[in-house]
This record gives sequence, C-alpha cells and structure tokens, in this order.
Amino acid sequence: MSILSELNAPPIYLICGGIIAFVAVLCIVFLLRAWRAGVALGMDKTKMKRAITSSATFSLLPSVGILLGVIALSGSLGIPWPWLRLSVIGALHYETQVAQAAAEQVGMGTLSASRMTPGSFATIALLMSVCIMWGMILSVFFNKKYTQKLTVTGNRAGGGFGDLAMTAMFIGLVCAYLGSYVGAFVSGDGRFTFTGDWTPIAVAAVSALVMALFVFLAEKKQKAWVESFSVAGSMLVGMAAAVVLGILVK
Amino acid sequence: METKQVNETWAAYTRGTHRVGRICTLITLCLLVGAPFLMGACLGALPDLSAVARAFLSVGLVWTVSSVVEFLIYTPMLGAGGGYLAFITGNLINMKIPCAVNARDIVGAKTGTPENEIISTLSIAASSLVTILVLALGVLLLTPLQPILQSEALQPAFSNVVPALFGAMAYKYYRHHMNIALAPLVLMSLLFVLAPGLIASTSMMIIPSGALAIGIAWLLYRKQRKET
Repeated sequence: MSILSELNAPPIYLICGGIIAFVAVLCIVFLLRAWRAGVALGMDKTKMKRAITSSATFSLLPSVGILLGVIALSGSLGIPWPWLRLSVIGALHYETQVAQAAAEQVGMGTLSASRMTPGSFATIALLMSVCIMWGMILSVFFNKKYTQKLTVTGNRAGGGFGDLAMTAMFIGLVCAYLGSYVGAFVSGDGRFTFTGDWTPIAVAAVSALVMALFVFLAEKKQKAWVESFSVAGSMLVGMAAAVVLGILVK
Repeated sequence: METKQVNETWAAYTRGTHRVGRICTLITLCLLVGAPFLMGACLGALPDLSAVARAFLSVGLVWTVSSVVEFLIYTPMLGAGGGYLAFITGNLINMKIPCAVNARDIVGAKTGTPENEIISTLSIAASSLVTILVLALGVLLLTPLQPILQSEALQPAFSNVVPALFGAMAYKYYRHHMNIALAPLVLMSLLFVLAPGLIASTSMMIIPSGALAIGIAWLLYRKQRKET
C-alpha cells in the first residue's frame, strides 16, 4: 500500500471529517446565538440577513482558492489532513510554508509523497497544529478581558475614535498588501528593474473599478441589493481579468 | 426596548459567548493537537516529539509572534464571538477580517457596539460555513474538479484572489478616507520597492502601516473635534 493510499484511508477521513463536522456545528451554534441575541436586542432582521448573505457570497471565491491549497498539499499529505487544516484554523499562506519547514526538520528535504513515511507525516501534522494554535490559546485566556475593555454597553451610539481607528487599521492592512504588489513589480527581480509581476496591480485595479461601478449602482441608482454581492462580483471580474491578461501576455 | 432590559440581554449573551467560546476553543485545540497522534496510531507511527520541538524553535516562534499580533489587532475588529470563531476557523487576513469589516460596513454597525458584535459573529459564522461547504464539496468532487481547477489557463485567477479582494476593499475604504490612506500607501510602496525582501513578510508590515493610518486618523479626529 502506498503512503498516499494510507493517508487517504477511511479512518483518516473519519478523524478529519469528524473535527470539521464539530467546527461546522460550532459555527451554527454561534450563528443561532447571535441571531437570537440580535432579535432580542431589537436589531433589524433585514440587516442581519444582509450580513449573512453578503458574507456567504463574499466567501465563495476565496473558498475555491483555498480548495486549490487542499489540492496542492494533497499530493504529499493526502487529502483528509489538508482538507481539515484549510477548513479549520489554517490559512492558505501558512500551511504550505510550515509543512515545507517541518519536512526539512524531519529530514525529508522537500515535501513530497515519495519521501513521506507514516512517522514523518504524524510529525509534520503535529507541528502544523502546534505552530498556529496560539491565537486560540490567547482567545481562551484574554478574549474576555480584551473585548470587555473595548465594548460600549447599552444603547450608546458607539463610534467615536474607536470606530475610526478600526477603519484606519483595516486601511493600513490594505495599504501593506497593495504596497507589496507595487514593490514586487518594481523591485521583485532586482531593485528598480520594473520587470516583476504586474498582474496583482492590474487585478486590484480592475477589481477596484468594478467595485466603483457597484457603489454607483447602490448609491446613485438606488439598487441597494447589489451591495451584498459587490465584493464577490468585483473579485470575480478581477480574477477573470487575470486569466485574460495571462492569455494576452502569453 | 428599555435600556435596562437591553443591558441585561446583552450581558447574558456576552457571558454565554465567553463560556461557549472558551469551552469550544479548548475542545477544538484538543482535537487538533490530538488528531496527529490518532492518525499516527492508525498509521502505526507516532509523531517524533523531539523533531517537533526542533522544528518549532526554527519556524514556530515566528508564527507565535504573528499569532500574538493577529490576536491584538483583529480581536477588536471581530468582537468576542467573532474572535473566538475566527481564531478557530482561520484564514483571517485573506477572508474573515475583510468579510466581517464588509458586513459591518453594509449594515452600518459601529465598532464596540452590541450591533457590531452580533453582525461580526453572523458574518464569520456564515463565511466559515461556506468555506467548510465548498471544501467538502470540492473534496467530494476532487477527481472531476481537479483538471479544471488546475488548468493552466485558470491559474492566474486563483493566484490573484487576494489582490482581487484588496482591490475591491481599497476602493470601498479609500474613497471616504483618502486622507488616511495616502501616506501609508505611499510609504509601504516605497518601503517594498527599496527593500523587496520585506515582501515575504507583508503580514508583519501591517503593524507599521496600521499604526501610521491610526496615527493620521487620530490627528484628523482631534482636528475635527476642535473645529466642532
């Protein structure tokens, strides 16, 4: 029996699938609790439905991208473990890096099925779990104190600088990523060579333009319903632009 | 609803969220750390703990620092319930954070309010369920889907999911806050151009970029308050 057959065996599926099912139930529990609390607090049900719809549509395309991560890792780690890692707790950019680093530490050199043994798989899997569990541990110990300090109770309007600060933090996050695309294009192949990959800049620009169109439709044409699909729609066109550019450049 | 009643409902919900959140996080932690041992037992080989310790010292510490930073930055954005759920379900930067911020923006919820907490939790739960569903379907249909998803023509699309996401979000947030966004955008671009080695650490560069944006926002906020 090959190592991949062993890693794709029913018991491994059962273990990983069971944990994913547990987390899915957890999501439903949190969703129902929040919905009921929202209703009890007198929140507008339409708003809550819009939050759910927009988040669901928003997540579709990135989820397909994450599925590619599962496919990429399945060649060396089998299907169930990457499926678990990327459904729960993991992050696309993290898993491959840590799996590769772990493979080096167990003496495999590179992450590949040809060098994988049951022992090295178990070691890599444990390291992948241990390295990324700190956010959860911090949540257990500090989430309560931290969020209590930040929460405005009762019917007070909230906002103030706290609201602006969170928006600014998110703007900073976006700036860091957009800046990295500029840096990769200008200096990716050597400082000021302007020969790096410019596709991310073009994709971001197309996506921003489509978002501008959605905003125009929502605000000027009173089609508020498009807001729920604006991010997913913009991403879809941006990603399609990447495909077209790929064909044109080739 | 009267303020007192709202406060009581809210307090009960918050207490419950922390209790459920902590218990579920601990169970998930045990499951995730226990799974490699269980799978190892099924395969007839247990993890090599000394190799895990060595590897953790070489790569894990970086991720530990990153996790602390993520916790400090993202918990205020996500609120209590959203925070517990997001750290359990992962994919924060490339999905959960923009998703929750977008939902908050669509319904106009303000940071630190019960409404923001509720919307954020609904958003993260819905997003996580979609990911779980898409991945489960994908795994189920892996054989027929694999050639399509891995076709050479579609690769640029899937390599550019994050730029597509941040392009859309940039328009949405920059258009009302260009005075906050301009300086960090220019500074980050210059920094990555002059030190391209930092591109690999973009997630860490969020800290100075975010700090600068918050600093500018604070100055603008103070100026606005003085004027009114």
